[in-house]
Amino acid sequence: MPPYARGMGVAFVAHCMLNQNSKVGDGAHCAGVYSPIVDVLRAKGWRIEQMPCPELAFAGLNRFWAVREQYDTAAYRRHCARLAAAVADVIALRVERGEDVVLLGVEGSPSMGVTITSSDARRGGRPEWPDGSPELVSGEGIFVEELGRELNSRGIGFPRVAGDTHAIPGHDEAAQRAAVESALDG
Amino acid sequence: MRRDERSFRVALVADFYVNPPPGGVDGIAAAAEAGWGVMQLPADDYPAAVTERLLFEVAEQVEEFSRHGYDLVVVGRRDGLAEALARVGLALPDAITPASFVALREFLDSRPSPQALSELEPGGG
Repeated sequence: MPPYARGMGVAFVAHCMLNQNSKVGDGAHCAGVYSPIVDVLRAKGWRIEQMPCPELAFAGLNRFWAVREQYDTAAYRRHCARLAAAVADVIALRVERGEDVVLLGVEGSPSMGVTITSSDARRGGRPEWPDGSPELVSGEGIFVEELGRELNSRGIGFPRVAGDTHAIPGHDEAAQRAAVESALDG
Repeated sequence: MRRDERSFRVALVADFYVNPPPGGVDGIAAAAEAGWGVMQLPADDYPAAVTERLLFEVAEQVEEFSRHGYDLVVVGRRDGLAEALARVGLALPDAITPASFVALREFLDSRPSPQALSELEPGGG
């Protein structure tokens, strides 16, 4: 990987892109670093800023797979708002320095989705829904929403976005790379 | 929990090794090759209040990994990390300030099997 070239933009990446150990059980698709997106950032000389995983410290490593409605509680929103404030501090610093900023999330995630999240208002109680239940919808995850609110309150525009698309049916690594490159190139 | 591809190994990596200068040691590349996850530590030039907030969140996440027996190490140094970890009852993990990519790889490769992994294996405790 070529080194980070100072002077390029800053990519705020979902925690799990650098640490698949933070994933919900059965969700890690490699040992640690998810290299395809990191490789794009390195090749283009972008600085990497890893965001916290909102679900890890709140619901733990043994958490269930969940949709937005299950995480959409007042307590979880307060947790996400606290994390978002910490991330917004760093985004604000970078923006003040005149640096370009992008946000790389996880499509389909109830917390980190940037254009696709997961939703099913009927989920709850004893888990019995079959694999493949339709749950993907257009929209942002809860952390991304809270980050948007925090940036808006500070008068900072929302960054360009792209995401890891592993959870999306028909995931195509080349298309994912093209989307990330497009976000970086503006 | 069903076994997936995770390594149960997490390196807390100083920003200097996450965003290395030309010719510097690329901590992400070394972790990727060795099968470790990376948790980035705040850049050294951030204001104290920003750093304190970020390290608070790092410690909250490290605590969860530690409770579940994941192996943890520190790559490089970050002032304030020891205090943030102490707040959640944790000591600084084993650490290295690597002089080279090879030295970092050797350090990561030399770690014992994580406790979490042994607990998932048949007959594991």
